[in-house]
Amino acid sequence: MSLFSELRRRNVLKVALLYAVTSLIIVWVVDHGVSGEVLPIWTKEFVLLLLVIGFPVALIFAWVYEITPEGLKKGMDVDQTQSIVYKTGQKLNAAVAVLGVLGLAAVVGERLLPEFEFVRSEPVEEIPLRPVYDSPLGAGVPREITSYSMANGLKIIVWPDHDIPNVVMYNFVRAGGRNEYPGITGLSHFFEHMMFNGTSELEPGEFDRIMEAAGGANNAYTSNDLTVYQDWFPRSALKTIIELEADRLQNLAIDPDVVESERGVVYSERRLRIDNDNFGRLYEQMVANAFVAHPYQFPVIGWPSDIENWTQDDLESYFKTYYAPNNCTMVFSGAVSPEEIFLLAEQHFAPIPRQTPPPPVRTVEPEQSGERRLVIETDAQAPLLHVAFHAGTAADAETRHMELLLNVLVGGSSSRLHRLLVEEEQLALNVGGWQMEGFDPGLVYFYLTLPPGADIDAVETRLLEEFARVATDGVTAAELKKAQNIVLADFWRELATINGKASSLGKFDVFTGSYENLFSLPDDIGATTTANLRAVAENVFRKNNMTIGVLRSPESEQGDAE
Amino acid sequence: MRSLRIVCPVFVLVLLAGPALAKGLSLPEHERVELDNGVVLLLSEKHDVPLVGLEAIVRGGAVTDPEGLHGLASLLAGVMEKGAGNRDAAAFAEAVDAVGGELSSSADLEAIRISADFVSRDAELLIELVSDMLLQPTLAEEEFTKLRDRSVNLIKAAKGSDPGRLLPAYGGAFLFGNHPYGNPVGGDETSLAEITHEDLIQYYENYVGADRLIISVVGNFNIEAMKERLAQAFGGWRAALVPGPEVPDAEKQSGRRVLLVDKPGATQTYFWAGNIGVAIDYPGRAALNLANTVFGGRFTSMLNTELRVEAGLTYSARSILRRPSQPGAVVISSFTETATTVEAIDMALSVLGKFHDAGLADEMIESARNYIMGQFPPRLETASQLAAQFAMLEMYGLDTAYVDDYGAELAAATAESIATVIDDVYPSSEDLVFILIGDAEAIREQVAQYGPVTEMSIDEPRFRPQPE
Repeated sequence: MSLFSELRRRNVLKVALLYAVTSLIIVWVVDHGVSGEVLPIWTKEFVLLLLVIGFPVALIFAWVYEITPEGLKKGMDVDQTQSIVYKTGQKLNAAVAVLGVLGLAAVVGERLLPEFEFVRSEPVEEIPLRPVYDSPLGAGVPREITSYSMANGLKIIVWPDHDIPNVVMYNFVRAGGRNEYPGITGLSHFFEHMMFNGTSELEPGEFDRIMEAAGGANNAYTSNDLTVYQDWFPRSALKTIIELEADRLQNLAIDPDVVESERGVVYSERRLRIDNDNFGRLYEQMVANAFVAHPYQFPVIGWPSDIENWTQDDLESYFKTYYAPNNCTMVFSGAVSPEEIFLLAEQHFAPIPRQTPPPPVRTVEPEQSGERRLVIETDAQAPLLHVAFHAGTAADAETRHMELLLNVLVGGSSSRLHRLLVEEEQLALNVGGWQMEGFDPGLVYFYLTLPPGADIDAVETRLLEEFARVATDGVTAAELKKAQNIVLADFWRELATINGKASSLGKFDVFTGSYENLFSLPDDIGATTTANLRAVAENVFRKNNMTIGVLRSPESEQGDAE
Repeated sequence: MRSLRIVCPVFVLVLLAGPALAKGLSLPEHERVELDNGVVLLLSEKHDVPLVGLEAIVRGGAVTDPEGLHGLASLLAGVMEKGAGNRDAAAFAEAVDAVGGELSSSADLEAIRISADFVSRDAELLIELVSDMLLQPTLAEEEFTKLRDRSVNLIKAAKGSDPGRLLPAYGGAFLFGNHPYGNPVGGDETSLAEITHEDLIQYYENYVGADRLIISVVGNFNIEAMKERLAQAFGGWRAALVPGPEVPDAEKQSGRRVLLVDKPGATQTYFWAGNIGVAIDYPGRAALNLANTVFGGRFTSMLNTELRVEAGLTYSARSILRRPSQPGAVVISSFTETATTVEAIDMALSVLGKFHDAGLADEMIESARNYIMGQFPPRLETASQLAAQFAMLEMYGLDTAYVDDYGAELAAATAESIATVIDDVYPSSEDLVFILIGDAEAIREQVAQYGPVTEMSIDEPRFRPQPE
C-alpha cells in the first residue's frame, strides 16, 4: 500500500483540507474582529501562529487515530474490517463542502452586501469618570469616538459621554457667506431661519413645538463658512430629534407667505445687530472694505436690498444644493452609543438623496497692496477704532501660531495691548481681537472702544507701534508660555461639556479634514516657538495688509463729546 | 458602508438603559463646613477633567451702596482684581493669565461675587489669589480712579452700541424708585463720578468680611486637603463692621406709567414692561417656572410665537423673572422697528391678557415640564456651574432639596396651581411700568396711550429721570 493511498484511507488528506478551510474562516473572522477593534491588534498574529503549529499536529492525529463507534482509538488498534474511516471520510467531505460554501458565500457576500464589521459594545450603564486624556501633554484620540459615512455622503461622528443624561447634536452645513453673490447675500443666514419654518409633513412652528415638548431646545448660527444647527436634548428625545432633523432636510417647505414673515424677523435681527449697534455698523464696513474680490466681503446677515428681494427660485435651488446630505457633517455627543445613532441614521437619513456637490468658491482675494481706511460718522459718544489684517485659513499651521499671538496681545488683563492701552496709558476703554478661522484666508481683527473726546489719531499711532514692535522683536518666552497655558486651559474647558465636545469635534472635522486633529492641538501648541510667533507677526502685521476703520461723531460735534 | 445587522442586541441594551439614565436631576454630594468666624465652605469633588471651579460670595452687593454712590460695590469688585497681597495690578493679572486661569469679580444686587476656573494643578495658586483679593486687596487709588473713569465711559459707549442692554438699569430705577432694588448695579455717570477713594476703603471695611463670606469649590482635588487649605486661608479673617442689609419688600405698583428714553435716529424701539413679582423662596416656584416657560421663557413661548414667529415683528420676545431675596421684577421685554412700536406693544399686552384668562392646557404643562427637566442637567455639568449652584443655595438659605425636589414639584404642579400662581405673580396689563428706548420724536404721541409719559434723553448721565 502506497503512503499516498494510506493517507487517503486514513482521511489525513481530508482532515488537511478541512483544517485549511476552517483556518481560512477563522483568520477571516479574526481579521474583521481586529479591524472592528473588538479584538486587540496582536490577536491576528497569535491565531495564525496557533493554526500553523496546529496543522502538523492535526495531521499526525488523523494518521494515528481513527473515529470508531466506541470512540477514538489508535488506528493500529482498530480491526480494519470494522473500520468506519470511509464513513468518517464522507462526513469530512460534507463538512468541507459546507464550510466551503459558507466561506464562498461570505467572500461573495462581503462584496455584495454592506461591509461586515464587529461593533464594540459601549458599557452604557457605566458612568465613565476616567479622564479623557491620560497623558499630561494631552494627546490620544479617545477610542470611544466613532465616525460613519453613509452612502448618500452624510458623515456622522459620535462621542459617547454618559456624565449627564443629555445629548447634543450639531449639524455642520457647508453653506455660508462665502457661497453667496450679489443679489443673494444673506441667503445662508435666511435659511438658518427657514429651516425652522415648516415642511410638507409639519406646519410652521411644529418643529420647535415638538422638540420643546420632548424636552429639547435648539439654535443655529451662520458664519462666513457654515450654517450650524444645534439641538440640546434629554436622551429620551433622541428618536424624536432625529426624525425632526431628517424631516426638515428631506421635506422642507418654502412657503411664500412664511418667507415674507421671516424677512421681517431677519430685518429685525439686522436692525438689532448692525443698524442700531455701532460696533456692528463698523464691522460690516470693515469687512466689506478689507475684501475686494472674495465673498467674505458680504455681511453674513445680508445687504438690506438683498434681504428684501431674494426670490423663491433663489431659495429652492440654494436648499437643494447646500442642504444635501453630502454637504453636511453631523456630530452627536452625550448619553448615546454610536450603534444606536447609526441605526437611527440608516432609518431616517439614508432616503435623502445625494446631490451634485456645490460649485467651488474659486475667487482668491488678491494680495492687498496698500492700507485701506474708512470712517463712519454717526451719533457716538465713544469712538470706535477697528484694525484688520489678512491672514490664513482654519487649517493653516500659522493660524495656530496667530491664536497664541492673539493671546499675547489681547488675551486677558495681563496681555500687552490691554496693559498698555487700557491700564497704563488709558488710551482705550477696552481692546480685543480674534481671527476668522474658515475655509479660505480670513482676517485677524482688533477692536478698541475709545473714551469720549479721544485723540483717535494718537491712539492709532500707538497701536500701530505695538504691531510693528511685535513683528520686529517677537514675544518673550514667558509670554509664549502664558499663551500656551491659556489655550490649553480653554481646550480643557471646552471638553468639559458635551456641547463643547460636539462643537470642537465638528469644527475640526469640517475645517481640517479630520476630527482627530483636535487631539493633536495640545502637542501642536506645546511645540510652537517664539520664532513661529515672530514670523506670523511679521507676515501679517504689515501696513500694506491693513484695513483701518473709525466710527465717530461728525467732526463739528466732536467738541461736544467731552 | 457598514452593516448594522449585529448591532441589534446592543441597541436593545441601550434602550433598556435609557429610562434609568433619564432621571438625573439631583446635586452631587457636597460637604458644608462653617468656620468659627462665620465663613461657610462648600466642597465637592469632580474628576472628569482636570479643572477646579470656585465661587466666592460676599453677601451685600448693590443694595448696600450708599445713597448717591451707586456703583460702589461694583467698583470695589473691580478694584479687588487690580492688585492684592504682594502683587500689584499687573502682577495679579499676570499670575492668573500665566496659568490659563479664569478669574473675575463683579457685583450684582445682593452680592459681590468672585468666579474662577483653574486647571487643578494650580489650585493652590487659585486659593492664594482669591484669599488675597478678599483679605488683602491693595485698593490702590490710581487703580480705583482708572476703573471709575473707565466705567463712566463704558456706560456712554453702551448707549451707542447696545442700548437694549441698558433696559434693566432704566427699568429697575423707574419701577423700584428709591427702594434698594432700584439701584443701578454698575452705577450711573453721575453717581460714579461722586465716589472717592475714601468711600471705597470705608465700604470695604464696612461691608466685606468673614461673617458674610461663602466659598464654594468643586473639581479635581482631595476634599480633606482642600478643606484644610481653605480653613487656613480664611479662618482668621475679621468680620465686616456694619451689619448686613435688611431689604424691605417693595410694593406692587398699580396703574400704568411710561419712561420714554430718547435716542434720536434709532431705527427700532426697545421695550420693557413690568411690575414687582416674587422672591427666590416663593413656594410655588415650580408652578411659576412652568408658567413662565409657556409665557415667555422659550422659543415657542406665547410671546415669541405671536410677536416673532407669527407676526415677524421682532427677533425675540420674552418674559423675565428676577428673584432676589425679596420680591424682584417680573418683566416682558422685546424690540421692534420704530414704525411697529405700538403694534408690538399692543400684541404683547394682549398675550399677557390671554395668559391670565385662558390658563394653561394640560398638554402645554406637560410640554413645559419636559422642557425644564430636559434642559436642566447641562446647567449643572461643569465644576464651575456646580460651585455657583452650591453658593447660590447657601446664600439664599436654601438646601439641596431646592434642586433635588424640583422634579417632583414640577410633576405635582397642576393647571389649577399654575393658574393661581399666574394671578399671584404676573401683573394685569393695566398695572405696568413701561420703559421705551427709541426715537422719541417718532413715537412720543403714540405711546402716550400707555400712561403718563416721563421723557429723558439717553445722553442724560442718570438712569433715573430727575424731577423737573
